[in-house]
Amino acid sequence: MVKEVYFFTEMGYTAYPQDEARRRGYNNLMLPNEHFSPERAQQLYAMYFDELLYCTETGFDGVMINEHHNNPLSMMPSVNVIGAVLARTTRKGRIVFLGNVLPIHDNPLRVAEEVAMIDILSGGRVVCGFVRGLGQESLATNTNPIYNRERFDEAHNVIIKAWTTPGPFRWEGRHFDYRVVNPWMRPLQKPHPPIWIPGVVSPESVRWAAEHRYPYVALAPPLHVIDEIYDLYDEVAAKTGFTPTSEQRGYVIRVSVADTDEQAYEQGRHFFWQLGTSFGIAPRHWLQPPGYVSREARESRREQARVGGPNVVPGGPALSYEEAHATYQIVSGNPDTVIRKLQRIIDVVDPGYMIFWGREGLMSHEVAVRGIDLMTKEVIPAIKAYRADREQGRQRIAVTR
Amino acid sequence: MTASFTEEFVEAAGLRIQLRRGGAGAPLLILHGELGVPGWLSAYAQLAQHFTVYVPSLPGFGQSARPDWIISVRDLAAWVTWFVRDLKLPQPLPVIGSSLGGWVAAEIATVNPGLFTKMVLVGAAGLKPDEGQVWDYFMHSNKEAFAQAFFDPANAPEYARYYGDGWTREDELQAEVNREMAARLVWKPYMRSHTLLALLGGITTPTLVVWGRQDAIIPLNVCQGYVRAIPGARAHVLDRCGHLPEMEQPEAFVSAVREFLTARV
Repeated sequence: MVKEVYFFTEMGYTAYPQDEARRRGYNNLMLPNEHFSPERAQQLYAMYFDELLYCTETGFDGVMINEHHNNPLSMMPSVNVIGAVLARTTRKGRIVFLGNVLPIHDNPLRVAEEVAMIDILSGGRVVCGFVRGLGQESLATNTNPIYNRERFDEAHNVIIKAWTTPGPFRWEGRHFDYRVVNPWMRPLQKPHPPIWIPGVVSPESVRWAAEHRYPYVALAPPLHVIDEIYDLYDEVAAKTGFTPTSEQRGYVIRVSVADTDEQAYEQGRHFFWQLGTSFGIAPRHWLQPPGYVSREARESRREQARVGGPNVVPGGPALSYEEAHATYQIVSGNPDTVIRKLQRIIDVVDPGYMIFWGREGLMSHEVAVRGIDLMTKEVIPAIKAYRADREQGRQRIAVTR
Repeated sequence: MTASFTEEFVEAAGLRIQLRRGGAGAPLLILHGELGVPGWLSAYAQLAQHFTVYVPSLPGFGQSARPDWIISVRDLAAWVTWFVRDLKLPQPLPVIGSSLGGWVAAEIATVNPGLFTKMVLVGAAGLKPDEGQVWDYFMHSNKEAFAQAFFDPANAPEYARYYGDGWTREDELQAEVNREMAARLVWKPYMRSHTLLALLGGITTPTLVVWGRQDAIIPLNVCQGYVRAIPGARAHVLDRCGHLPEMEQPEAFVSAVREFLTARV
């Protein structure tokens, strides 16, 4: 059953010139930042933060935030700064970091300190996710993608140890070395904030999450690859020695809800606001810098789908708006329609946590707020009640494309 | 111009290594660049008429094994000296190093004056250009890199032969393997060493620095940088030529190299 429902927006910087991006063939990494207006960003931040606060006040169990670099997709180049602001502007609800980009930090203890600070500032409301970052972010931060996964692992290990082992101690690793690990700022939640691992592609990440007993949050994938993800998770969990429940499954889904199906369908186009895509476009060698994607992952269905189109799109979809609906990468409709579609997703995924990617692109504040109201008043109560009294588990339902 | 050669796997310095060799006579070691070595180049065949030419795929490149411990150009340089030892090649011997391979050869020469009789550096990486930048492979695709490495790819037979219309998915996968090994070695600082310039002053090996005048990967001023830094080194610049003289101007390249290798010092 769905235990908690969160709200998410990428906080897009919507004011960039799409024509120029189309001409260049990319809208990130090298798109000149002369097209960024701090004044416009100030207005957008005000709107986005108002909406997130509103979500936590009206019925969401919290909000999800993330981090991207050199990218108008997202105005969150530091997830911890966004989280720190939310820690003091919101009064309730969890703040779900999905997440800190571990490999790009040369001093991961700084991440341990900042997340601990925010956990304290928020009164223990942090959910701490860790991610590898987009391929472009290895280039944007000049961290060698060959070592992306090694650095992810080691940064994770030193952060968890810093949170759970009394200091001072010494750390001598392959990528990080500390004479003294002894951060005074330690998390309020014990032993530390819950860790969730989001992902779109790598089988390695699914496996890694299961080995660490961390929930795996699927980031708005086509519904027909869900079994591929969670079958692998279950298989590794069994070897690790536990039986996953809905508590180990999170699901991010684009949701466009309005008073009528027609309105919702039209408003949903705002999720594909970047040259008709949801994440923007970039050449393949930016998405896959050397060593960033393993041979196994490169051959996977999800990666093939991700980079298969003429426009290469992280997390997809390089597909038509209609196909995005058909594959449940977005659900739209009036509350009843959306509830019915989400129930189908719940049947297949049985997630403990759902994250509604609830506003995007050039959607107006008024439209976003109306959507939030319909979600909190009608959609969330209905999907939390759905299957609440029945046995849990993923149902095998053939999902066609 | 296809003097016979063999391609085989040899155990050398603890690794299974893909080795192309051909010709007869005195040994000549060739160290390829960051793009790997795509085959028995026409330049190798020409050189094989005068030398026994050894072209190993360096660890992590081509079909050669990659050990976890080789993470820097100096690690690779150490390995090359073991390779020469394990193959029981007569020492000292002459070496040609292209781009990354030139950097490797130069690193060896800075610490081991006894290994090489003579050294040819071709479009060698390792130094920061006085002007301009080294073209960034990691911001571009493999196909873009090959085109960038030639002055005139449309009129270069070796470009057509190895990187042209016959390009297969296997070729792309191999190029990606090479690219990954290059990233291990030269990601940051990119294609240069912070210490090599100072170390070059200690080299006593006679050195020829060959460069394509239109090299659009490593600017020509790096050629002058090498010549200034290595005592007694001289330059040979080839016209209508990019970053891969051995592929784009094989005859002129072989001629310059032969003249240098056969001259009395």
